[in-house]
Amino acid sequence: MFGYLIRRTATSLAILFAVSFAVYAIFALLPFDPAALTCGKNCNNPAIIEANRIRLGYDVPFWQQYIVFLGGLFAGRNYGQGAAALHCPAPSLGYSFNQHECVTTLIGRALPVTASLAIGAMILWLIIGITLGVVAARFRGRSADTASTVFVLIGTSLPTFLTGLLLLVFVVIKWKIIPFPSGNYTPFFENPIEWAQILLLPWITLAFASAALYTRFVRNAVIETLSEDFIRTARAKGLSEKVILRKHTLRAALAPIATMAGLDFAALLGGAILTEKVFNLPGLGRLSLSAVVEYDLPIIVGTTLLSAAIVIAMNLIVDILYAFIDPRVRVAA
Amino acid sequence: MFKNTSGTSRIARKALASLAAITLLGAGLVGCSKASSGGNTLTYLTHSDSWTHADPNRNYTGQHIAWFGSYMHRTLTAYKRAAGADGSSVVPDMATDTGRASNGNKTWEFTLRDGITFEDGSAVTCADVKYGVSRSFATDVITDGPGYAMSMLDIPKDKAGASVYKGPYKADGNDAAAYDKAVTCSADNKTITFNLSRAVGDFNYTVTYLSFSAVPKASDDGDKYDMHPVSTGPYKIEKYVAKDEMVLVRNDKWSKDSDPIRNAYPDKIVVRFGLAEEVRDQLVINDSEPASMSLDGILPTNLATVFDDAGVPVDAWKGRALNVYDPYVTYTAVNVSKVSCVQVRKAIYYARDFAALQTLAGGAAFTGDPADGVIKPLMGLDYKKTTGYEDWKQEGNAEKATALMAEAKTACPDVYKRATTAGLTFDIGDTDTNKKAATIWIDSVKKNSGIILKFNFIEPGSYYNIVLDITKQGDLSRAGWAPDWANASTVIPELMLDGYGFPLSRAGKDPTYAEFKKRAEANLAEPDRVKQGAEWAALNQYVMDQMWIIPGVFSKTQEMWGSKLTGVFFWEPQGAPSFGDIQIAK
Repeated sequence: MFGYLIRRTATSLAILFAVSFAVYAIFALLPFDPAALTCGKNCNNPAIIEANRIRLGYDVPFWQQYIVFLGGLFAGRNYGQGAAALHCPAPSLGYSFNQHECVTTLIGRALPVTASLAIGAMILWLIIGITLGVVAARFRGRSADTASTVFVLIGTSLPTFLTGLLLLVFVVIKWKIIPFPSGNYTPFFENPIEWAQILLLPWITLAFASAALYTRFVRNAVIETLSEDFIRTARAKGLSEKVILRKHTLRAALAPIATMAGLDFAALLGGAILTEKVFNLPGLGRLSLSAVVEYDLPIIVGTTLLSAAIVIAMNLIVDILYAFIDPRVRVAA
Repeated sequence: MFKNTSGTSRIARKALASLAAITLLGAGLVGCSKASSGGNTLTYLTHSDSWTHADPNRNYTGQHIAWFGSYMHRTLTAYKRAAGADGSSVVPDMATDTGRASNGNKTWEFTLRDGITFEDGSAVTCADVKYGVSRSFATDVITDGPGYAMSMLDIPKDKAGASVYKGPYKADGNDAAAYDKAVTCSADNKTITFNLSRAVGDFNYTVTYLSFSAVPKASDDGDKYDMHPVSTGPYKIEKYVAKDEMVLVRNDKWSKDSDPIRNAYPDKIVVRFGLAEEVRDQLVINDSEPASMSLDGILPTNLATVFDDAGVPVDAWKGRALNVYDPYVTYTAVNVSKVSCVQVRKAIYYARDFAALQTLAGGAAFTGDPADGVIKPLMGLDYKKTTGYEDWKQEGNAEKATALMAEAKTACPDVYKRATTAGLTFDIGDTDTNKKAATIWIDSVKKNSGIILKFNFIEPGSYYNIVLDITKQGDLSRAGWAPDWANASTVIPELMLDGYGFPLSRAGKDPTYAEFKKRAEANLAEPDRVKQGAEWAALNQYVMDQMWIIPGVFSKTQEMWGSKLTGVFFWEPQGAPSFGDIQIAK
């Protein structure tokens, strides 16, 4: 296992470098002039654009720019000179002149918001999805199964932004069941109750569609597992249905669900854009979206790199987890 | 297979128990929910992710100037806080009077009042105001603000036409002595003197801009100052996070004795950023936030809730809404450097279904009258109705548009081909209403002229940052402009001349530009106000003859607020409410 981890870590780092180069190359070679980022209304003055080009380090060849970018990851980066000089400490992903902040700081601020949203939503949809899926499988063909089918249809049909808007407008604004939160986000360690209150509706919104999907997956996986020979053997040995379901069926059925959940979680950590937009959560999704709209290249590079790193890391975690869930994978490894 | 009913019912019970636990937890969070900010907190709601700028030198929209000028940034003079035309007169703010002119209006002196401090208690001096003004010259760092300091102060220009003074951040290649000569401080550091390159009879109006306010050098970190400007007003920033909120608390170092024009009514002021537009409107309509006000106006789909067909607030909204002419003219700037064909530009004007756009925006009662240029009738001396477009129709004139495109096919085949095949890009703010408007533009212009339009939706808080960037601006850009004060000298040059404040039309390479520039610059120095006004009107006609802009409306604005707010009135010179006069009823 240790050797496996070392090999996977080394491979992951190599992939990350390749991704960083590809991302940086794509954006560095686009037909935009990044030196014009801070020009504003005077951008039609060539002297000012050229001065900016030097200040931002875009006056050197592309490969040199990448090395500076890499260097910034380990040693930090300076912009400009004199009284208006800026410094972004390591690991520096650049500076955003639109948001007036180092990209690492912006991401560091946004990541806990998205992580809180993603973790809470995932826990919710896993609990609901697995519970309803198991019940639907166990009572296949009966009213519980039919009810779960209706839930699946509604959950997969309603777009996330519509669910969120409906909840916000009716539950919060019109019916006033929940007061409009006093802030957009409160960190967990500042006030865990307020943190949960603000995230309650976003969790429900995000979990709703996923819970419906997972209900269906779990139902089908449990049904398939219950028809396996080893389950028949377990019943022949006289084990109770409760023990068969809990100790034998679920573990086998949920292994692929674990993989799916890991990858879904990784994708969410890149930013649940629609949910964050509707509920005004200042997470990675909103950060990425505004960066694309504003042509804020340093943030685009930073968030893309982060998303790639998260996907790579989650792939590794899921693979390790799978080895624990399924002994056959352990033996093969 | 045998059945085990006891195991089955236990599974079902456990499943129900799990779901019940989740529901109870959720109900507990709901029940313990903390109410939104109450007490003496005034809340502003906006769709934008942040202020375009909080840095006083970079503020240029009327609403931003009104807001920050009410709460944080004092200037040498300010507009009187009064409704109607009375609000357009200038009163002293940091200065003891509205300025003393000499040398044929080329030298202006202002003396600071006693007792003005920054939020840390340190006294505001002439040096601080001088430093604040100097920041506008650092155009590579301090972007987007008004350029009056650069265009008016008596500082030489280099061969490229840029000022030889590059701002306070550069040591090399920077003629700081030239700035020190143009702006001087008295020995007691209380009187500031501006030496101008030309006569400016209303320079005391110019210094109402926040770019003429005081900035402490020790706190200035260039670009980052935009997130934490230092206050000289009744409030200071406690928190400012983009996409989240800004919180202002009382500045306990501010004194009413030295600031007769401002008030400090609420204990706290909060701006909530990034709200979905319908959510923003519903919060006010349902009075969920009784002490709140929208900063973005009202969605057209919600206008009927608040106003009747004539545009008057219905009974339930009397005292909570207003619908007035604002100082703005809306228009679509045509990037003449890219759309260098007057026939194509005119074809878009004739092809557009203006009537449908106006209906979408809520109808004439709310959107205003069709504009015929960039100068509004309210300007009086400077306005004359333009001619030459008597055959323009509100619903579009396909015949005329088609004829123009037939001319364009031979006169400017390259632009014609691009307009009818690849299409022209159209920059516009990313709002629900604009997305619907885009459909009308695309359909009517294509149907009536064959021109294809492709829309580029930009986040509102960043819109002008992007379209003012010549490398990012499209072929067409939606814009609006209000005169900086009651003279079209703050309209025609600012919008049409390269190197001035808002040159979205980029007409510098157009063959007809040279004569226009000569006449406009000569008219800036014209001492006869009536003659000057007539020439501004003629230049407005010139702009329309070349269709450097496609006129929109002489616009109106609507505002709405919660039931606990009082003292709201429309402040004409800024085109926004006088925020500092808003109070929360007990």
